[in-house]
Amino acid sequence: MPTATALPTAPPLLAVEELVCSYGARRAVDGASFGIRRGEIFGLLGPNGAGKTTTLCCLAGLRRGFEGRITIDGRPFAPARSGSDRARLGSVPQELALYAELTARENLRFFGRMSGLDGAVLDAAVARGLALAGLADRADDRVESFSGGMKRRLNLAAGDLHEPDLLLLDEPTAGVDPQSRNHVFEALEGLRRDGRTLLYTTHYMEEAERLCDRLAILDAGRIVAQGTREEIAQGAGMPGADLEQVFLRLTGRRLRDEP
Amino acid sequence: MTTVAAALVIARKDLRLYFRDRTGVALGFLLPIVLVAAMGFVSHLMAGGESGSAFSRATLWVADGDGSDASREFVAALREAKTIAVRPRPDEKPAEGAALRRRIADGDLHHALLIEEGFGAAIGRGELPPLRMLRDPDRALEEQLISIGLMHATFAALGPDFAAPLTTRALELAGLPPEWRERTLALARGFSRGVEALFREREEREGAGRGKVGAEAAAAGSDGAGAPSFDQMFTQIVPVTREDFRPPERPRQLTFMLAQTVSGMSVMMLMFGLVACATLLLREREGGTLPRLLLAPGARSAILWGKFLFTAVIGLLQLVVLFGFGASVFHVDVLRDPVTFAAVTLSVLATCTAFGMLIGAWARTTKQAEGLSTLVILVMAAVGGAWFPLQMLELATPVKVIMGCTLTHWAVSAYQALFWKGKDLADPELLTAIGVLWGFALAASALARRLFERRYVGS
Repeated sequence: MPTATALPTAPPLLAVEELVCSYGARRAVDGASFGIRRGEIFGLLGPNGAGKTTTLCCLAGLRRGFEGRITIDGRPFAPARSGSDRARLGSVPQELALYAELTARENLRFFGRMSGLDGAVLDAAVARGLALAGLADRADDRVESFSGGMKRRLNLAAGDLHEPDLLLLDEPTAGVDPQSRNHVFEALEGLRRDGRTLLYTTHYMEEAERLCDRLAILDAGRIVAQGTREEIAQGAGMPGADLEQVFLRLTGRRLRDEP
Repeated sequence: MTTVAAALVIARKDLRLYFRDRTGVALGFLLPIVLVAAMGFVSHLMAGGESGSAFSRATLWVADGDGSDASREFVAALREAKTIAVRPRPDEKPAEGAALRRRIADGDLHHALLIEEGFGAAIGRGELPPLRMLRDPDRALEEQLISIGLMHATFAALGPDFAAPLTTRALELAGLPPEWRERTLALARGFSRGVEALFREREEREGAGRGKVGAEAAAAGSDGAGAPSFDQMFTQIVPVTREDFRPPERPRQLTFMLAQTVSGMSVMMLMFGLVACATLLLREREGGTLPRLLLAPGARSAILWGKFLFTAVIGLLQLVVLFGFGASVFHVDVLRDPVTFAAVTLSVLATCTAFGMLIGAWARTTKQAEGLSTLVILVMAAVGGAWFPLQMLELATPVKVIMGCTLTHWAVSAYQALFWKGKDLADPELLTAIGVLWGFALAASALARRLFERRYVGS
């Protein structure tokens, strides 16, 4: 777990206040509030169906009709309507968002262009993306020939091509082998060293412990705890306990199923 | 588990999956029903429609230059013929031969029958009455309908000679006055001579071993391509002197039907591109790439317009190949007026693509998109005249309205105005077709964008 003391009172890059989002009568996110500071990896933890992906969709402007207030650098943040707001975001979705029939380089060039990059800047971004994914030697192979881990790494690189202010990662290591997962972790740690800000959702506690500076635990749409790992453990009355025990204390042992 | 049991389990699972997409299933079942209905409807129109209705009649303008009782009876019989729509109608101003000749020469009309002076007198003498047909010789299909109608009307009004004894007896039994009986007999004898002349001509041709055209056959409008077939013999039995008019601006090509086929099939094949187009957005969503595209800083509607452009480019290539084939094989002069051709093609492309995008934005699954695309394409092709030249028939108003609701009708009309009639962008008919096509395109695009915003951008 990285030390959160390096970021004591930095103003939030992104602030979410009283976010409410419903699917029909069911509230998927129910009054969630949290802030993400510049340069940190903020973890959004929760069991299946807790509302993590819905929260990310609201932040990315992929859902409409939610309530609450989202600001970036103190200004209202509305990526659904504003292209300049969208330009500040990068996304690594849970599903692989790649074109299997295109090569790794073609995929990165396409998503780079869609992000507004061109010319030498685009070339540099693609080279950086290939390096980030560890696929420089397979750049001209079609994605359909890649393993699951290679696709996951490329998926990550495609989301970060334009070096967004905030990179949203929705369970980016789902279904990959330990080697690829480790590569993803190292890539994300490298991004943090570069001062980048990441919002990371997962239900793997070891990932959160390794990567996240601060965490919010989401359960049934509500934030049940947030802060550093130590702060959350203390708040749960379990100082020194590992994150998984704290998580189970806070969210219970009842099985959670996706809606 | 046995093979049979495993197969049953798999089939059960597939059935469950199949019926889960209820809209897709409904479209799948609707498709053959609507298709059969559309085909039946079109076949019905082509076959003549309801008895006594205005379906499937070729328009024949008639000028009665004789004005006798016999000529008026003949015109009345023409109006009763089921394959002809006689103009002017009884409530319209009578037509004059000179005016009809002008309009035929201008290409506004395609067939006009002149009942010349002496018609009634000829009948009185038992001779074949003088009839003159002014026609556009490239409208062969209408010509067939008119010939059939003319034959029916002639038989109805005048009666065949070979049936003279039977007719006489029937008329006596019906209490017909003796003076009518004599006239009918005279007409029947005239027809008998006409039939004999046709048979003689055929024998002469077969005897000569080559396509010699006799004077009578020429007067009857035979094309000299050989002896008439059985059905042609009966449609040509009515002795009509034909005068051909071909508008000078008409491009060099073969027939109306050929231009119709090239236009109709090209439009229909272009529409088949809609199937692929309609699934493009779904593929982005199902492939997981849509959220990443939606996060791009550019306008989100660019996703829709990007698909629009892609489909338009593919459609353009298809049209180039199809019309290139039509030009090289069937000699349809597609590049006679490149500007008009480009304007019509862009209009058709925009409309077809917009409809594809509309279907794509509406559908929630690939099955729905494919089902609806196929439904729209085949129904529009059938009803809009891409398969059969419904435009040439005298159709009832509701049928015309239905046709006017299909983009295929306007697309084929625009191409026909260009290829067949030799019109350019200054022509009101062509401009109307282009305007309606763009109206369709804009309406479908606006609706597609609205649906896209609702179903793809913010769910």
